[in-house]
Amino acid sequence: MKDGLHQDRAGSTFKALRSLLPVLVILALIALVPLFSPSNRFLSLAISAGINVIALYGLSVLFGQTGILSMGHAALVGVGAYAAAILARDFGVGFWAALPAAALASAAFAMIVGIPSLRVGGHHFVIMTFAFGQLLAIVLTNGGDYTGAATGLDLAGPVTLFGADMSDLTRYYLMVVAFVTAAAVASWAIINSSYGRTLRAIRENEKLAASLGINVGRHKIGAFVVSGVFAGISGVLLAYFLGHISPSQFSSFPSIYLALMVMIGGARLIEGPLAGGILVAFLPEVLNLDPVQSRIVYGVCLIAVIMLLPDGLIGGIVRALRAVLSGKPKQETEQRNAAEARR
Amino acid sequence: MKTVLKMGASAALCLGVLAHPAFAEDNIVKIGVVAAESGSFVSAGHTLPAGVGLAVKQINDAGGINVGGKNYKLEMVKRDDRTDIATAIAATQELVRDVKVQAIFGSETHDFTLAMAKITQPAKIIHFAGNSTLAKILTPDSVKPGGEDHYLFQSEPQEFQRSGSTARGVLTLLEPLLGYKPKKSVMIVGNDATGQFLSSYYFKALKAEGQDVPDIIFYPPDTTDFSPFLTRAKSLNPDIIHFWYNGDSTLTALPQALELGAAKSYFLFGVDPGIWKEKQLSADVPVAMSCVPVCWGESSNPKARAYFDAYFAAGAPHGVTSSVSLLYHDYVHFLAEAWEKAGSFDPDKTVEALLTLHHQGVVSDDLTFNPTHQVTHATEVCAAAPGGAISCSMQQPPAEAPKS
Repeated sequence: MKDGLHQDRAGSTFKALRSLLPVLVILALIALVPLFSPSNRFLSLAISAGINVIALYGLSVLFGQTGILSMGHAALVGVGAYAAAILARDFGVGFWAALPAAALASAAFAMIVGIPSLRVGGHHFVIMTFAFGQLLAIVLTNGGDYTGAATGLDLAGPVTLFGADMSDLTRYYLMVVAFVTAAAVASWAIINSSYGRTLRAIRENEKLAASLGINVGRHKIGAFVVSGVFAGISGVLLAYFLGHISPSQFSSFPSIYLALMVMIGGARLIEGPLAGGILVAFLPEVLNLDPVQSRIVYGVCLIAVIMLLPDGLIGGIVRALRAVLSGKPKQETEQRNAAEARR
Repeated sequence: MKTVLKMGASAALCLGVLAHPAFAEDNIVKIGVVAAESGSFVSAGHTLPAGVGLAVKQINDAGGINVGGKNYKLEMVKRDDRTDIATAIAATQELVRDVKVQAIFGSETHDFTLAMAKITQPAKIIHFAGNSTLAKILTPDSVKPGGEDHYLFQSEPQEFQRSGSTARGVLTLLEPLLGYKPKKSVMIVGNDATGQFLSSYYFKALKAEGQDVPDIIFYPPDTTDFSPFLTRAKSLNPDIIHFWYNGDSTLTALPQALELGAAKSYFLFGVDPGIWKEKQLSADVPVAMSCVPVCWGESSNPKARAYFDAYFAAGAPHGVTSSVSLLYHDYVHFLAEAWEKAGSFDPDKTVEALLTLHHQGVVSDDLTFNPTHQVTHATEVCAAAPGGAISCSMQQPPAEAPKS
């Protein structure tokens, strides 16, 4: 009996590991990109996309696993970025020390944003998170010299790792890829932990979860805190990459873009944030779209995803591939997809 | 031995083939432009490549530039930043590292320029930007040799100068149209980096001209319904409402202000009389307008009239901020003259030349950079009478900033 249990656990661990493998392979391939001497424009855009992907992994825990949509996630990235810039300016704190500090600051803000979710839900809560994003931009814009007001703050410190200057574009790219990998692994660990299962139970039926003894409020706040940690790290990377930050980068509109990315990519699958981040960053570049055209394309994509691909683009691709490769009856494939989507 | 010779010959041939395009490239000097040719800042953004492009054409048509006894043609390499900072940074990285430009112009967005300077300055690329907000970072320490902004130049006057000349011009032109000396002013300003920065200087400039300024009313960027802000302004019974700084927003706000009868006269910053005439705007009260730096619709500057004829003939659209192109056009000529004087493209020698030259431009016959890399010149202000007649005059900047 015990052996059987062990075998079951080993089997499920193996299955879980198998779900991580494609992401690790994709990230390994992405890390090899500098070998092909890409243009600096490409590297720069890829770094921006990677920084977004880290924040998206946090958002996927909140939205994909817990079922709470936040339209103020960019504000949490902003908290991390401003924390890094203020710590560097006022206390001479460097990049590596700023990472945990900014992650904590963003997590604390995320907790504050999460508190209303205990009483308000659905669309009302989405509007509240949207308002939080706007509020933060207003506070930063009117924060005087402390926040640099609308002009923002400069951050000129070097990023070093074991004595090597990481400011070089290729090195910064590789560092961001490493952070994305860590974020993906952390997100995967959450999804496949008992904590992740608890979050999904809350997502599926809050009242039923509460009746089973799950402290719904605590776990919801916990999901916010986790998403805040990801956002804070993303903010530090962004601040050090740009060297200058301003409130407009963290207002509601960038938050809408983050929500869009995670929805298009697929919030419940480990590959989703990666796909959404890359797609939204590079689509205008590849198709040479101006911002108006981009918004139209994203809007159409979002409608298509909501109506046709509820698991996002990656979920849709996986479903299509399985249907084509296995050739199994439609019903069976759908059952399996439903099980996948419940994760 | 034979093999070694064959390999040597092959290598020489390859090198020869590779060297040929490089030689052709030798006679081309690339100038980068990063501007918002799409997105929310497109109105000002499209003026930048249009101004630089016209200057490049003029220089090339005149035979190019002679540097160190060799003739060179200029080539503009422009990139659209889509009013997005990540794209602006990627474009700057591309221009500096891949295209290897000698100089960069842009962007017209303050935040973007600051982030771009983090790339251009360590790479020793001469960087011109028409943001008066650069005064915050252009200090004697930052621009000295070895300083972090040694190669950065501000092609718009210091804000106390621009605000000073604008405030004086507005009050001087509106007084005869109002029939009395205006005493009370209210400012309505876009609440962003540029708006906050500009309004602080303009407020002091109005005070220095003896104006009572009871309030500065900030509106969020992209506002379309100005009635709450105008109602508040009207309650203060102002002689003049001054709209700063986004021309497109100002043109949205003005009809609402006229309908509400919010003030006895208005000032529209950055709205050209050309747009006033083209849109067939009219008002039953006097309306002053200013241009950054010279107006295209009704200029008192003959050189500017000729410039704008060529500018629009080259295909540039008539826009609220077409005159902004002059914050870049003159400096391509200025830079070309500096390279010729330096006899080299060496960035340090070029900076030295830029700081010692007196350039004859369209905006001014004597364009010079001060020790903190900022230019000084006049600003044109115009006023439309209730009947429609428009009069303009160039307003010289004050010598010193007003005491706060």
